[in-house]
Amino acid sequence: MSPQTTLNRWFRSFWPPFVAVLLFIGLWESAVRMFHIETWILPSPSVIAQEASRSAGSLWDHTLSTLQLTLIGFAIGSAVGIIVACALHLVPLLKSALYPLLILSQNVPTIALAPLLMIWFGFGLLPKIIVITLVCFFPVAVSAMDGFAQTDRTMLNYMRMIGANRLQIFRKLEFPHALPSLFSGLRIAATYSVMGAVIAEWIGAQKGIGYYMILQKSAFRTDRIFVAIAIIVALSLLLFLLVTLIEKLVIRGGRRSGQEEGGETR
Amino acid sequence: MNVYTGKKTREGAAETPGPGRAVGSDASALAPVKLELDGVRKSFGSKRKPLPVIDGASLQVREGEFVSLIGPSGSGKSTLFHLIGGLLRPDDGEIRLDGRIINGERGHIGYMPQQPALFPWRTIEENVVLDREVSGAPRRESLEEARRWMARAGLSGFEQAYPHTLSGGMQQRAAFVRALLSPHGLMCLDEPFSALDAFTRSEMQAWLLDIWEETRRSVLFVTHHIEEALLLSDAIYVLSGRPSSVLRRIEVPFPRPRREEIAESPEFLALRRELTGLMKEEQRKNRGKRSE
Repeated sequence: MSPQTTLNRWFRSFWPPFVAVLLFIGLWESAVRMFHIETWILPSPSVIAQEASRSAGSLWDHTLSTLQLTLIGFAIGSAVGIIVACALHLVPLLKSALYPLLILSQNVPTIALAPLLMIWFGFGLLPKIIVITLVCFFPVAVSAMDGFAQTDRTMLNYMRMIGANRLQIFRKLEFPHALPSLFSGLRIAATYSVMGAVIAEWIGAQKGIGYYMILQKSAFRTDRIFVAIAIIVALSLLLFLLVTLIEKLVIRGGRRSGQEEGGETR
Repeated sequence: MNVYTGKKTREGAAETPGPGRAVGSDASALAPVKLELDGVRKSFGSKRKPLPVIDGASLQVREGEFVSLIGPSGSGKSTLFHLIGGLLRPDDGEIRLDGRIINGERGHIGYMPQQPALFPWRTIEENVVLDREVSGAPRRESLEEARRWMARAGLSGFEQAYPHTLSGGMQQRAAFVRALLSPHGLMCLDEPFSALDAFTRSEMQAWLLDIWEETRRSVLFVTHHIEEALLLSDAIYVLSGRPSSVLRRIEVPFPRPRREEIAESPEFLALRRELTGLMKEEQRKNRGKRSE
């Protein structure tokens, strides 16, 4: 594939959503102006943009703080997810015992758990990281386990026929085979982790976008809340792209998730 | 690689015996038995209601012999392979490799499955050495050996390519080289060409014939393609329908090195007719059994 066609394809898939977003912002702006909506109810995009540039300095600190928390939480949460998935896959008894519990645990809302964690672990970094870990690890663990379970039967059969042991089968076949699936879990976890960080900051923090939002809410600064939301979206997107980039570097042989498995014979 | 080559007397079997009669060439009678199945039985299903699949299969593959297994579809050929590979344990009977019982033991055979089953995240070269890697062979040696055989298989230039960029025939050749590089003496090929189109298939048969005659590994080859079996094999075992047992062993008398032209000889046609008749009969019996 020449870079020309790659660029072309990228451009073609890029412009429709881009135009849609532009139209939406234009509609928003004109609606606010036309109906004279108060700024504290719904600020127009231009007002939000002005506010963003005005308070850029203090926002930068908050953003960095949230980004740091997110990255630490995402790394720990994903690692826990991968470890749990491997353990459950390699020990079938563990899987049958814990898998239903894992699903059940996802019905406990994080937002309800966060105050409890603050009570138990104080207002430091630890309870916040636990919150992010809790939201991150589930999509990672489930997608990795799905990937392991969907290992190609003929390849598995081949490995058994040539006498590969359990660990060899896992290391040489099941794990690399599950990578595309694992990465789609990681992408979801990346966006969740930003949300987890913000929720953790709502509950108790002296810094960060979540903390900033709580402050501005009490002051009825709707415009600043919108700025915070824009930053959260940008952070999520950034992490999403980061994971996609790592995936491109890690996965070989033309089989990224969301892509067709190449080759006419397969 | 340990390639068996001490088999020069075989070419001497020039006199063509009557078709269909079991004729043991004295060369194969001298070579030691590589693999032997002796009264192997296997049933699936519950203890109270067993479903017999293999009912007393006995066969032999001698050192450096190319032996085919043919039988009607659903005659448990794959089950037989899984038994030899140690994925399944026979209920009764013995599987011996080099005289040692290997019932339920894995890791004694080289294997080529129906689909190439190349790992898409490995380059062709990395795929080809997989069996050796699993057996713990030194990597650099394996890669050198791999490159040599890949060149022989017409895969040079594709060492660093990923499998999805190769055609079906090339993928199968890579899968064959992978089995060939296996450190184990016996190669089991499970209908390796069944997924290929007719033209590629006959090309692959000629290629396999050529490369096998050079290496003379002990091969057990499963197929339901009669001409393919006749062209390639020293001996053919015909399996009955389910529950399957070995109906008979047919020696294929054509001298080596063989060429595809033998397919037009009257002996070949006579053997083919005989085998086709046997298979048809089995298929019919099988159908009768099923409709009961």
